[in-house]
Amino acid sequence: MSALKDIWVLSEKPEMLAELCAGARFLGSNVTALVIGKEEEAEKASKSGADKVYWLGEITGDRIFEDYTDTIYDLITKENPELFLFGASKRVKLIAGRLAARLRTSVLTDIIELKVEGYDLQAKRLVYGGLAVRTEMSTSQTVLALVGRGVFTAPKDYGFQGNIYRISSDKVESSVKWLEKRVKSGESVDLTAAKKVIGVGRGLKRQEDLQLIYDLAKTLNAEVACSRPLAEGLNWLPRERYIGVSGAVIKPDLYFAIGISGQVQHMVGVNQARTIVAINSDKTAPIFAQADYGLVGDLYKVLPLLIEMCSEAK
Amino acid sequence: MNVIVCYKVVPEEQDISILPDRTLSLDKVEWKIGQYDLNAVEAGVQIVEKIGGKVSALSVGAKHLDNSKLIKDILSRGPQDLYLVVDNQLGEADTYQTAVSLAEAINKIGTFDLIICGEGSSDLYAQQVGPQLGELLGLPVVNAVSKIESDGNKVIVERTLESEIEVLEITLPAVLCVTTDINLPRIPTMKHILAASKKPVTKWTIAELGIEVGVKPTKIISTLAPQKAERQGIIIEGDSEEAVQKLFNYLCKEIL
Repeated sequence: MSALKDIWVLSEKPEMLAELCAGARFLGSNVTALVIGKEEEAEKASKSGADKVYWLGEITGDRIFEDYTDTIYDLITKENPELFLFGASKRVKLIAGRLAARLRTSVLTDIIELKVEGYDLQAKRLVYGGLAVRTEMSTSQTVLALVGRGVFTAPKDYGFQGNIYRISSDKVESSVKWLEKRVKSGESVDLTAAKKVIGVGRGLKRQEDLQLIYDLAKTLNAEVACSRPLAEGLNWLPRERYIGVSGAVIKPDLYFAIGISGQVQHMVGVNQARTIVAINSDKTAPIFAQADYGLVGDLYKVLPLLIEMCSEAK
Repeated sequence: MNVIVCYKVVPEEQDISILPDRTLSLDKVEWKIGQYDLNAVEAGVQIVEKIGGKVSALSVGAKHLDNSKLIKDILSRGPQDLYLVVDNQLGEADTYQTAVSLAEAINKIGTFDLIICGEGSSDLYAQQVGPQLGELLGLPVVNAVSKIESDGNKVIVERTLESEIEVLEITLPAVLCVTTDINLPRIPTMKHILAASKKPVTKWTIAELGIEVGVKPTKIISTLAPQKAERQGIIIEGDSEEAVQKLFNYLCKEIL
């Protein structure tokens, strides 16, 4: 199949937009980026591989990002792009769903791979808690697709700049009124950017024992992540640090699983790691069948020794 | 306040078997209420407990939906009545077809102030039915809702987004998709379970609702268990200093 012609991209974050532009350039010939935000963001987008930038303006007053859905819908019906790539965030998922309803279609969601196969554009996503990969396609005139971080890689420089077109977007009466915004407590972390990640699971007995994990992370220069129960339920770590099918999906050089049993729902988040190392006291834990190097033993005995060895080696 | 809570009946993941050709078999699965939908049910029940009104539960799907155990289960969690759209044409429905069916059923139910969905279904987790439903009904719709306060004909909601908490005032009627953090769904007591069998259940088919399910806008090409990555599988047994030294040596080789 010849490549697609017109592909549009939308994201809340410039880094994600650059990745989407790269994917769009690979799949099609004409890339248009929609930017809602400051003029600098539109300029940045014009240098990120977009042939054209539709700048919908800066969000002012009590408007929210989602209020631009009407304007985006009008643009789609006017120009009929073949594919619209959305950078998966909560707000953008809401916009994509609303657009899909108006276009009488469904969104291809949480895509981990998108490619042209014969005459079809095929998308892969995880289903049933990571038990299986589903390959699907959309039959709609404009295919709507939600893509996460890391599916496409943005090159450093394109050496060309797209044109910016100002699109006016009038405020419409809305029954949703913005009241305020609060900073989310806790730090924000991007596990997908880390080269080394230590994952901790239910094998850890007490919250204060996390110090052992932090000490190891420091000597290895690694980020700390966890399995679902530690982030939801025990609340020992923030949700941003949880790996698994509804959490982060990462591809680090090293994934070091400590006290993690290796359930499929967790492993889908890490099975693309280059090397997996595991410590678990249960010899029959499924993690060992999925690890490059495993140690069957008590993490409370192993970690102090290992931390000492790592610090000495530094 | 009249609240409608939507839920999906999903297969118990542990019962799904993987066949030698990597396809899945759902033949022996038990069906259950989607895990994240329990938060939607609880959110609806809590609002009505606080300010009065009625909670109705609604689900659409294939024949496994019409199961007395599951009907009792949902009604024991607090809703006063239940509406089901049972039709085998909905077995493989995608998010658009599901949202269309829910919208038609809601129009048929008629009176409501608030519709609450979970953030996503626990089997496919597309997180799209709520947003599509809101748009199809022509109502304001908001996802990632982690707190709801009712205020007359409005609700004040908090949204937990990636890097901020946003507070919105929404004039009813509206559709909200709630997160798993919003509450801890209660465990039904024996009293609630016994009361559940006396609550009214209305069942419709898609023909009775006049729904045109139409051609499915997405086509499934395959659903396969992932191929296992090749791993070294070197296992050291024991936690002696010698064993740890071995692990350390491997670690060094890989990364240090």
